[in-house]
Amino acid sequence: MKVLATYNIKGGVGKTSAAVNVAALAAADGLRTLLWDLDPQGAASFLFRVRPKVRGGGRKLVRGRSDVTDVLRGTDVEGLDLLPADFSYRHMDLVLDESGKPTRRLRKVLAPLEDHYDLAVLDCPPSISLVSEAVFDAADALLVPLIPSTLTLRTFAQLSDFVDAEVDHRPDIIAFFSMVDWRKRLHREVVETLPDGRTDVVRSVIPAATEVELMGVARAPVVTQAPRSRAARAYAELWAEVRERLRV
Amino acid sequence: MPLDVTVHSYALPDGVDPPALLSFLGDRFDVKAAPTAPVTFVVVDTADRRVRDAGLDLALEGGRDTALVLRAHPGGPPVTAPARRAKRWTARDLPAPLRDHLGPVIEMRALLPLARVRADVRTLNVRNADLKTVVRLRVATHAALDAEGTPAPLTSRVEVSGVLGYPKPLARVVEALTGEAGLVTAPGSMADEAIAASGGDPRGIRSKPDVVLEPGTRTDEAALAVLRELAGFVEDNVPGTLADLDSEFLHDLRVAVRRSRSVLRELKGAFAPEPLQVQRDALKWIQSITGDTRDLDVQLLDWGDLLAGVPAERHAALLPVRNLLVRHRAAALRKLKAELRGRAFREAWAGYRTFLAGDQGPARERPDAKRPIGDVAGERIRKVYKKMVTMGSAIDGASPAEDLHELRKRGKELRYLLEFFGGLWPSSVVKPMVKTLKALQDVLGTHQDREVQADHLRALADELAGVVGGPEALLVLGVLVDRLGAAQQAARDDFAARFAAFAAPGQRKVVASTFRGPSG
Repeated sequence: MKVLATYNIKGGVGKTSAAVNVAALAAADGLRTLLWDLDPQGAASFLFRVRPKVRGGGRKLVRGRSDVTDVLRGTDVEGLDLLPADFSYRHMDLVLDESGKPTRRLRKVLAPLEDHYDLAVLDCPPSISLVSEAVFDAADALLVPLIPSTLTLRTFAQLSDFVDAEVDHRPDIIAFFSMVDWRKRLHREVVETLPDGRTDVVRSVIPAATEVELMGVARAPVVTQAPRSRAARAYAELWAEVRERLRV
Repeated sequence: MPLDVTVHSYALPDGVDPPALLSFLGDRFDVKAAPTAPVTFVVVDTADRRVRDAGLDLALEGGRDTALVLRAHPGGPPVTAPARRAKRWTARDLPAPLRDHLGPVIEMRALLPLARVRADVRTLNVRNADLKTVVRLRVATHAALDAEGTPAPLTSRVEVSGVLGYPKPLARVVEALTGEAGLVTAPGSMADEAIAASGGDPRGIRSKPDVVLEPGTRTDEAALAVLRELAGFVEDNVPGTLADLDSEFLHDLRVAVRRSRSVLRELKGAFAPEPLQVQRDALKWIQSITGDTRDLDVQLLDWGDLLAGVPAERHAALLPVRNLLVRHRAAALRKLKAELRGRAFREAWAGYRTFLAGDQGPARERPDAKRPIGDVAGERIRKVYKKMVTMGSAIDGASPAEDLHELRKRGKELRYLLEFFGGLWPSSVVKPMVKTLKALQDVLGTHQDREVQADHLRALADELAGVVGGPEALLVLGVLVDRLGAAQQAARDDFAARFAAFAAPGQRKVVASTFRGPSG
């Protein structure tokens, strides 16, 4: 099982949208896919119409005191299962801190699922914390949405430095531009210049699109709700690049 | 796989069509129905149904752009890969994800299109109060299509799949369907039904006879029952051999002929000597015309294993050897096809079939004909076993290879006797005996096969010298032949221990006391 985590220090950059759409595309490709909603806001769980609650509590799950297979939920996308969010995840730093080897905990939660899934996608809350370190430890790759701005390069460099410095097991970084508005000159310039020479930024670009915003109304990934839309096609391109890099 | 969801498959009774089922469910649940989708697909499996037996389901789906679709996990996503229509697909032809799943299952067998099916499929999703799908249903009417596209209706089915984490709604739907609507579990799979409707055997092509015998059955009747089944296996495998679909058609054909010869030899007292000799000669001839192709098949099937003992950088040098084997095999196959299509084979086989169907002549010429099979087969098992013990005990490190080969041939006789007639005695005796015999036969087989392979490779030397790259290949060929010699020696080293288990004093006593017929 490969583990892919959508991650950014900042919120509102399209992590959840990327996670649910990439996970849905992976399942459509025949991969047995798991999406773990680690964000206490539970947006991914909401999108899949699953109650953001872990039976027995998120704390017990993370501490390894409940069976992860008991709390999984199938989604409306065949082949895609969800490990729902739990409001207790807002204290996950504390829970991890109380555990032995806190940065290994998330990997341990996933361990029993190793043979049952081909891909696990972790939708992570925005932060730099112990949770981030545990995510880095569990993940084979980080999928990092970047909104084009003058600070993009700096933020991205900070993230890379942090990953390099904090973890022994360094996941690959797969960054992509998200919420791109082609009408804005700045967006165009940043998108056209930044990837130059960088292997950690893929070519696919996710546009700022109404269909993506409407996912909250339709409560379904854009790739299943509006598969021919520009945004859905962009996610398909992104998934193809991610799949190749993950070799899954 | 605890994460696989539960899937139930029910047959729709006569008078209940998909719209009626939808209406029934719609009155009881929140059901979202997709439009009916007409699909045509081809059931794909090996001739001996290895895919089905591994719990998998494979089909070629799509219209213009076709894909092989593998369903490996109930309720899980199918593995799909583009594939063109073909008369066969080998593991090597499959795209990576399918090859990973199917390669170990099908091994050297080819995937074949076994039945064409047209279906009208309707997907129904039962939803909860949040409009989330909690149970999936797939209602389908199927028809098998013959070569002209004429449909033969199959059982209409509804497949009910649970959704992980929602067991209660599934239980409610199942209760409604089986309790209120009275649906019953579908008999067999749709693929089996389609294959049967297309004139095939859903069990797949078989290689082991399944004849129920009583210890008191007359020996001639028992022998003929087994021989007729084996003759059917030979006939089943001729078309696949002629079409060269995969190597196992010829292999199974040869095994069925060899087993038939063994029955005729071991139970010869059940037949009149003259016609028996004619048929034994006929089967011997069939075995001989199929031998060259099979030997070359074995060389090519074992090629990967052979290379494993040669440094990777030398593999390319052996390409001329492989090319020669491929060329020889093509020539042998051409000859075999001509023989199988020729008059001599047709007449020999027709004669054999007449022999199996006809009167075997007066019993005075056939001393064992009326005797109970329990007596005759028991006697043969005891005698062949005893002979093997004598032969094996005389084998030591200095014995020629022929001695081991002769012992192996006897071992095959014993194995077939136990396979066909072992059911007449307690399995607590037969099973362990087959196990020790098989272990012994494995080493004897390896010993013999490696020798034959080495001889074959040596025989290529002159021809190799004359082809491009031949001299380099000859140098590496020496390594291969040495390796085969080492493998043969290793098998010989294992022989003593395997034979000791087979011929242990306790085992001898059990054989002597067990294999008795109704007459004691």
